[in-house]
This record gives sequence, structure tokens and C-alpha cells, in this order.
Amino acid sequence: MRMTKTTVIEIENLWKRFGRRVALRNISLEMEEGEKVAILGPNGAGKTTLLKILAGQLKPSAGEVKVFGAKPWKKVELRRKIGFVSHSSLLYRDLTALENLQFYSKLYGLDYDTKKMNETLELVGLYEQRNRRVSTFSRGMEQRLSIARAMLAKPEILLLDELTSGLDLEGRNSILSHIKKNFRDKTILMAGHDFDELEEVCEKGILLNSEIKSVGSLEEIRKSWEVP
Amino acid sequence: MELKINLENSKETFKNSYKDTIAKKIEDGVRIATKDLKIELRSKNTLNFMLLFALLTSAIFSLSVPASLAAIISPALLWLVFLFVGINGYSRAFLREVDEKTLDGLKMAASPEAILLGKILYNLMLMFIIEAILLPIFIALFDLQIKDPSLLISAVTLGNLGFVIVASSLSILVIKSKARELLLPVILFPLLFPIITSTISAISSALGFGSAANSLLLILIYSAVMLIVAFLTIEEALTE
Repeated sequence: MRMTKTTVIEIENLWKRFGRRVALRNISLEMEEGEKVAILGPNGAGKTTLLKILAGQLKPSAGEVKVFGAKPWKKVELRRKIGFVSHSSLLYRDLTALENLQFYSKLYGLDYDTKKMNETLELVGLYEQRNRRVSTFSRGMEQRLSIARAMLAKPEILLLDELTSGLDLEGRNSILSHIKKNFRDKTILMAGHDFDELEEVCEKGILLNSEIKSVGSLEEIRKSWEVP
Repeated sequence: MELKINLENSKETFKNSYKDTIAKKIEDGVRIATKDLKIELRSKNTLNFMLLFALLTSAIFSLSVPASLAAIISPALLWLVFLFVGINGYSRAFLREVDEKTLDGLKMAASPEAILLGKILYNLMLMFIIEAILLPIFIALFDLQIKDPSLLISAVTLGNLGFVIVASSLSILVIKSKARELLLPVILFPLLFPIITSTISAISSALGFGSAANSLLLILIYSAVMLIVAFLTIEEALTE
């Protein structure tokens, strides 16, 4: 009997327009459970838009997008299975780091106590700052807390948009090793520009510039991406 | 064939996932409102502004209106104060989420209905605070003789309840607009018309002018209809 892996992401002929501007053009993509794919492309290539559609933040203008067989913008139960790290931290600046995680964990329906929260904060190196308001955080600290928020519910899919932007080398290495260790069997779609970072997590890549230009190993993508 | 098997697996995985019940949506709504109130009590950006504006407008009205007319036009003036304050204040609940870019995070974790409920509950809490402070001061400033205090409180509270429901639901539609501060009143006033007229009529009746027959019932029914429409359309309104 042939073992089949679960298809978690299915995109078919996806188009996304903002007014007259076409952000994504006829994208088709399928990802199986546990696959780790990097999305590369110049600024304005549509990387963030693609991730936002998969996270249920945006609706496609045309085409089909399904995550676990359903439209992500239709079901919050589905969105809770997705860990999304975007350019903005999605954190409340007037709440402390601990309060932010407590608030989100309750919405996710998690029965986490303060000890568990503190462990999560320790993991991203923010335990000492847990009672500080996010408004007093540096960009790097905010990004680390944002990563903790996204990973709080142990998501099945991680959508990571420029994951380590604003992090110092130590923070970057610690987050990447955490992802590699704890999300080994999860599906990851990771957008960014840093090949070295993407290579640490992803086994293959997609070169995007409104439409899919090429798909292959990151080495092949590196070769095919002509930097002007 | 293989794709079909994969899709069946995906659907099964999703079916087993945690489904939001009405109780969960209500719980989440309360959590969102509590979070908003906590943030507001720390920053005091909205409440201070709303109170200051309400008191300032009331004082100006009381100084400008001749004493002989005060009792007759005070219901409309009181409602005007609530309108001015509410239009700017109630939309802040959603605007703050957009300005701080936290709405996307909220959408990942809470259902659209819970988000709307949270914003309505938060605005209701603001409304009760404003009402509790403003109403006695307004009555004192205009030296009003209240014939039916319970009708006055019911009229102001129900009128504000309807106003909060309509304002909270409509503010989500204009939050991404560049001219949102101008756009909100333009689309809000026509929809508020039944609430405005009914509330003024009920307040006048509480002061001994005219009858408030069915005014409160009309506000209740209208608010309920608006609430149902808001909950039915919030998912579309929240997704770009």
C-alpha cells in the first residue's frame, strides 16, 4: 500500500489585484505536510501578499486557495493552526510581553498557565523583560515576541515573512535553531532575501516576481535569480 | 486519484479541529473588550478626550441657550453631545487596531463575530462611563426638572446602545479609507436617524414634554436589527 502525505496547501490559478495593480498572477502551488519552502523575489514581488492570503488576511481576486481543504479567510479554526510572522509584530504596545501572550493564548483556546508562558518567553530570550510594555521594546525584542506569539499554539503551518529582520546574530541563530528543532515535521513557507538563512530551514525554493519564475533547490534558485 | 485521497485526509484533519461555539465567541468578545479597556485605562487616549469634549460642549451649550428654552431643546442638545463624542470615540476601538496593525493578529486568533462583539462591549463600557459622568452634570448645567428619571435613564442608555451598535459596526467599513473621519459621519447619520428621533422624543417625555409612546421599543427593535445585520456581514467586512 502506498503511503500518501497530506496536502496542506493547495493554490490553483491564484490572482490578486489591488486596484489596477496585479500583485500575484496565475500562481499554482501545492505543499504537503512537513514540506519547507522558501519564497524569494525582489521587493514588491508579491511574497507578503501570498503569505497574507494563505494566512486568511486577504482574499484572492481569482483562483482557488485551500489550507487543510478549506478557505483560510472563512474559518478562524483554521487560521489558529497557522503561525504567521509578518513585517508588523501584531502585538499590543500598551500591554506587557506576558499580557500579550496571555491574551493571544486565551483566544487560541490554550490552557496555558503563567509557568508555560514564562517558558515560552525564556525560549525567545525575553523572560527578564516579561513585565515590560511592548512600547519600550527594541525592534529585535518585538520581533522575538512576535515569533513567540506565532508559535504559541504549536501551529501546523508556519508562514514566516522576513523572520529574522531586526534580530542580532545571537537572536537569529537561536530562533532558527528553535524552528529547526521544534517544527521539524511542520509545513513552513518562509519569505526572505537571505539565502543562508532560508537554506537553514528550507529544502527548496520558489522564485516569485508576481508570477512563479522558477521552482527548485535553493542553489538552483540562487543561480537563476539574476540580481541587477 | 492520489489527489483525491490527499484532499480527504485534509478535510478529515480540519473536521477534527476545534470549532468555535457561540460560548467561545462570547468569551473571546469579553476578552477583547477587557483587553481594550485595560489598554484604554493605561493610555487614556480616548476616554479623556471623550469626557473633555462632552463637558466642554455641554458647558458651551448651557451658556449659549436662553434659560426659557433650555428645558425644551435640552433633549436634542444632550443627544448632540453624545453624537459628537460617540462619532469620534466609538470608532477608535477599530481604528486603534488598524493603526497599531494588530487587527491582523486578532483575525488570526478570534472569529469576526467575537471581534465585533468585543468592540461593541468595549464601546458600551466607554458609554456607561461617559453617561454616568455627563448626565448629572448636564442636568445640573441646564437646571432640568426630571419628571420621570427612570424613563430618562432608559432613553439615554437605549439610545446610546443603538448608537454604539451602529457606530461600532460601520466603523469597520471605513477604517481603511483615507478620509475615514469624514466618511463615518456621512454614512452614520442616515442610519442613526430613527435612533436620534426616538431618543429625543423619549428624553423630552421624561422631562414632561410630549409622549414617548413606543419610542423605546422602536430603539430596541432597530438596534436588534442592526446588530443582526452587523453580525451577518462582519466576516465580509473584515476580509480585504
